[in-house]
Order: sequence, then C-alpha cells, then structure tokens
Amino acid sequence: MNKPSARGISRREFLRRSTMLAAAGFLAACSSQVPQPQPAPAEGESPGGAAAPAKEGVTLQYWVGWGELTPFFDKFKELPEYKELLGDVNVELKPSVATEALLTAVASGTPPDMTSEAPYLDLMARGVLAPLEELVAGSSIIKKEDFIEGNWEAGKYQGKLYGIPALECFVRYGLNYNTRMVEAAGLDPENPPVTWQEALEWHKELTKFDDAGNLLQIGLDPYDAEGGAVGDGFYATRSWGFEWFNEETGEFNLDNEMMAEAFDVMGEFYRIAGPDNIAGMRSVEGQDTWGGSYNAEVQAMIIEGYWHPGETAIQKPEVAKYNRATWAPVPENRRGVKVQGTGGHYVVIFKESKHIPLSFKFAEFLNTKSAMELVFKEVGWLPAYIPFIESADPSAYPGLEWYFKSVKEADEIRGPARCPITAFVQDTYNQLREEVYRDNMTAAAAAAEFQKRCVEEYKAAGFAG
Amino acid sequence: MTRFTPHRMSKSERRRLVTGLLFVSPWLAGFLLWRVYPLLSSLYYSFTRYDLLREPVPVGFKNYVELFTTDPKFGVVIYNTLYYVLLGAPLGVVSAFLMASLLNTKIVARPFFRAIFFFPAIVPTIVTAVVWQFLLNVQFGAVNSLLQGLGLPTIPFLSSPALAKPSLILIYMWAQGNAMVIFLATLQDVPRVLYEAATVDGANAWHKFWHITIPMSTPVILFNLIMGFIYGFQEFTLPWLLTGGGPNNATEFYAIYLYRNAFNFLRMGKASALAWILFVIIIIFTVILFKTSARWVYYGGESE
Repeated sequence: MNKPSARGISRREFLRRSTMLAAAGFLAACSSQVPQPQPAPAEGESPGGAAAPAKEGVTLQYWVGWGELTPFFDKFKELPEYKELLGDVNVELKPSVATEALLTAVASGTPPDMTSEAPYLDLMARGVLAPLEELVAGSSIIKKEDFIEGNWEAGKYQGKLYGIPALECFVRYGLNYNTRMVEAAGLDPENPPVTWQEALEWHKELTKFDDAGNLLQIGLDPYDAEGGAVGDGFYATRSWGFEWFNEETGEFNLDNEMMAEAFDVMGEFYRIAGPDNIAGMRSVEGQDTWGGSYNAEVQAMIIEGYWHPGETAIQKPEVAKYNRATWAPVPENRRGVKVQGTGGHYVVIFKESKHIPLSFKFAEFLNTKSAMELVFKEVGWLPAYIPFIESADPSAYPGLEWYFKSVKEADEIRGPARCPITAFVQDTYNQLREEVYRDNMTAAAAAAEFQKRCVEEYKAAGFAG
Repeated sequence: MTRFTPHRMSKSERRRLVTGLLFVSPWLAGFLLWRVYPLLSSLYYSFTRYDLLREPVPVGFKNYVELFTTDPKFGVVIYNTLYYVLLGAPLGVVSAFLMASLLNTKIVARPFFRAIFFFPAIVPTIVTAVVWQFLLNVQFGAVNSLLQGLGLPTIPFLSSPALAKPSLILIYMWAQGNAMVIFLATLQDVPRVLYEAATVDGANAWHKFWHITIPMSTPVILFNLIMGFIYGFQEFTLPWLLTGGGPNNATEFYAIYLYRNAFNFLRMGKASALAWILFVIIIIFTVILFKTSARWVYYGGESE
C-alpha cells in the first residue's frame, strides 16, 4: 500500500515550477511564427480581386478624425449596397482619432486598414499608402470621369493615386453671413461685400463692444475655418490669385507683395476687434472650434465651404435660417473675380492592411447613391461624385444653392497645393500673421520670413533635392 | 603580501542570487524595454532625419546645428521655458512652504484647509485647465465678470502675450499640494526643543521662523526646488490645454515645441535632439543646485 505523502510542495520546487511556467508562457507569447487558426481565405482577398464578393467574418478598421460619422455610421450597414459590396464584413469605425495616434500606429506597423480626415499628404508623401490605380481599373463604381477633376487629382501624389474621394468633398469657399445680425447692424443683406475693403466695413459695423470695451461679437474673423486653413487651399493665396507652392519644382512663392498685402489686409480685422479679445473669444468652449463662433452668433460672417449650410442647419437650425452665402472677398484690384476651390477628403488604404481590396470596396460603397444620400441628410456633406451632385437638392439647406451655382459661375477653381510640409506651413502662417496683426512685424518682413522658414524646413525635412 | 582571492559563492548563495534575479526580472525586463531602449533609440534618432513613417536617415549633428543656428523658434522656446522655470519653481516652493507653515499653526478647521490646499494635487489637469479658463477668460471668466461688475477694465490673463506666462505661474503656485504635504511633514518634524530654547533666549515668532524653521527645512526645500525645476522644464499639459502655446508664442514651452516637431511636423529626429538638449539642461540645473546647496542646506546629521 502506498503511503500518501504528507509533505506539500517545497519552496525550491515552487520556484522551479513557477520559473518553468513563466518561461513557457513567455515563449508562447513570443512565438509569432506559430500558425494561428485563420478564417478561411475568401474570394475578395486575392490581389486585384476588387470585383469579387466580400468574405465573411472580417473586420475592417476605419479610423477617422471626425466625430460626425459616429451617430449614424451603423446605418451604413443596413443599406442594400453595403450588403452587396461588403456582405458580412464589419467596418469598425474609430472616430475622433488624433493624428499622433494614427502616426504612432503606422510607425509601429499596426495601422488601421483605412483612414479619412487624416494628414493625407503626409501619408502619401512618405510611402505608407497603397496605390489604387489597379483597383480603380477593375471597379465598376469608381471611374475618374465621374468625379470633380480637382477632387480626383488631389487624391494623387507625384502622379500616383492614393485616395478615393469620399464623404466630404465638393467646393470650399463662400462668404456666409447671418442676415439677422447684418440687418440689426443696419447693413443690407442683399448687397454683401465683394472686396476685402467692403468686408472690413461690414466687420466694423458688426463688431460690438460693451460700455467697458469688452468684445461682444465680431463681424468676420478672416482666419477662422476655411479662411485660415492652408491644407485645404490656403484662401489668402486664392483670393490674391497666386500659387504658393510648386509641387513639380518644390519651390515656394510666399515672399511677394500679394502675400504681404494679404497679411496686412486680413490682419486689420484683428486690429479692429483687438487681438487679445479674439484670443479670449477663441478660448471659450463652443467658440474655439472650426466655425463654432458663427453657430454661437458671436461671429456674423465666416469664410466656409459648402458644408457650412448643411452643418449649421443640422446643428443650429435657429441660426441656419438666417444663413446666406456669397463670393468670398478678393482684393480691390481683383474686384469681380469669382474664386472657388476644390478639396476635401478621401478614403486612403494603408499598404500594410491585410484587406486592401475589401477596404477599396468600402470606398466604393461610400460612393454609392444611398450612402451619399445618408451622409448628405445626416451631416450635410457632399461627395465629389458628379452624378450625385447633379441629383442632390440644392435647396436642402439655406445658403447651399449658392455653392451649386458658384461651380458654374466661378472664374477660378483650383485644388489645394500638394506640399508635403503643409502642417509646418500652417503653423508658421499662424505665427507670422499674429506677429503682423499685433504689429510686431511688418507684413513684408512676415512674407519674407514665411518664405525663408518654409524653404529651410522643406530642406531639413528631406524633400529638397 | 596579501593575496586577493575572489569570493566563491556557495551553492546556497548562488541559488539565492538566482532567486533574487528571478523576482526582480519583471521589473528589469520592463526597465530595459520601456526605459533604456527608448532612451537609447531617441539618442540614435537625434542624429537622424526621422519622420516616424520612413526609415531614419543618419544626418550627423544636423538636428542640433539647426536648433542652435537656424531655428527661429528655439530661442523663443528657451526664453519662455527659463522664464517659467526660474520664476515658477522658486515661487512654487515659496507658495507650498507658506501653505504648509499656515497649516502647521493651530488654526480653526485645520483638516479642512489641509484638504482644500491638497485638492489641486489630486484633480486631473484637464479639470484644472477648465476651471482656470472659467476664472480667467477675458470675456466670460468669473474674475473678469467681477471686474466688469465693479466698473473696472478686464484683464486678458491668458490672451495677452505679456500676461499669459505670469498667469500660468500663478496657476502653478496654486497647484502645490504635493510639495505642501512634504513641507508639512518636515515642519512637524522640527524638534520642539529648538523652539523652546529659542523662546528661553527671547526669540520672537519671526526669529524662530527664520533661524529654526527655514534652516531645518532646507533639505526639503532643495528637494522641492529640484523637482520644481524638472517639472517646469517638462511642463506641457496645462499650457497646451489653456493656451496651446499662444498667444503669439508666449507660452510655447520646450515640451510643447518638442511635441509639435514630433507629431505635427513629423520631425522626430529633431524632436529627439530637443529631448536630449532638455536632458542636458536639466542635468546642468540640478548639478548647479546641488553644488550651491552646500552653502544653504543644513543637514542635521552631517559632521563638520
């Protein structure tokens, strides 16, 4: 008969076993080569298989900078076109993704499958995106001729196509104004400003202070929203009518009289309201974000794209009913020149994605009629897809009709410059314009400094030569 | 002649060493992986052109040369940071010391005040930022509303380039809960016998404070000052949330500029160079403080 051992585990034995267990666990965790159970390969995954039906059980990661898609994103999946193109594929939206989170994910080799509202050009210029020409060639939905040319071309970098225009595209410039505030200031909403000088006169009338000299409302912050965004066209350069960067040669054209004049003229709007006052106004919740002060009726005019009427109508219908749009201002020597611009957003797919053809299908889906209708209804955005734009209702939101007309009437329609250091240019622009409107620097000196800094950065970032 | 013979570990000593190493190995692995490796990587990156997305390209000292010769913002950033650190760190220590001294007296509701003064240390920075924004905003802030109500002009605390840094220092002085607790422990540890002897010698409250309390607290003053310097040089969250580096670059501190280079401009190599320069600056300031401490820090147990 065996005698049962009365003795428990010894300390040494405990340590030995723990060590073995830990080592085994460590090895198991590290062994990436160990084959893992994989879902069965599907037809949609073969290279160039864009037209093949989608596979089941796959989740695509879609990271976007916006928060606007979140409330209705799941409605996409109920649309017949989604089922047709993507089957049971789940597209998982990660909204409001900060740029640094995206870049870190890409740098560490774990990017999402695709992204939108991201630093497209940074990604394109640095070779982390999948070129899409072949997939477009095999697509029955995505055809170059169906898209607004400027939008389509801006999806390319150095001749290669990386972005499929989607969700929010169309045109970028219009001077929107609040007719109630304009009338209250004794101005005629039927006769809006055409030049910067006229806009400045309106600004003076619409900027209000209390008895103690505190700012209550402003007429126009020319640097708010599209007025100050470099990446979406750089309105100052569009207004004064010059190209600030040449993608072919990598040359900057910022040290010129027009840029200096733009600094000076646009800065005057700040001088009138007071730079400290505007900085204070901008730091208040609801007035600091893109266009927020217009919706809060603290700003009577704003330079914005076509989305402004729809977004305002959805977010603040009581303000939207007074919204009207006209041509954004130009300098006196270009009086009468009607300036419009294209730009917008894309679906870009990462080279390291394991589901490139499937991700492309999602880009296709976003350019189907019912997906575009849903986006237009929920957030007021328009794509670059011409057949949809031609069928969309321009009177859906107050002020939108003007944008539709502007496409036909514009004298100049340009897309954004393709500069790979746009974030730096934007930051430098912000700094120098502040130096000018705070009278720390002359406009001419600011323009010269702008040129100098951009050229140096372009070189230091490794793009020159 | 004595011959040196290396100590041979016995079997049980070796076993104990292995056991000890095994127990400490998770920490060691974490330290090597999450501290040493990134540290050495950043040193390497500082000599490269690295944009996070492409392979780093060695460029020698170019990033350092650029910072010291052509970067127009580097000087501004250094000035802002030194201004903040050299004023903020000592004032923070003074504020913490005064709060602790106050709480060390027999005041009414002492536990309540302790909690109130310590409160900023446990509040998340984002909350602090929102509260101070609510207080100091030029148009809608509570302080300025009060001034307006009294018919006085408002003060652009955070939106004027001249006032933004002092305002942030003010907020920093308010948020000294941690330092205050350390000072309070120190003050309560000062031997009563010293005060009693001073009383017998006819010293008044000020004499006792100046000749006993402060000297006995100098080791902790040194500690808090060093921590204040290190914290000040690395300050990011509060100015980022309150002013975003503005107005007109007035609060563009070192860490903000480093972040901007790394993630906005994709100049990770330059940002790494900035990090190493900051490391050297902090070392220099810490060494200076330690070197001068012999003159003003009193250690009770020190031999003459």
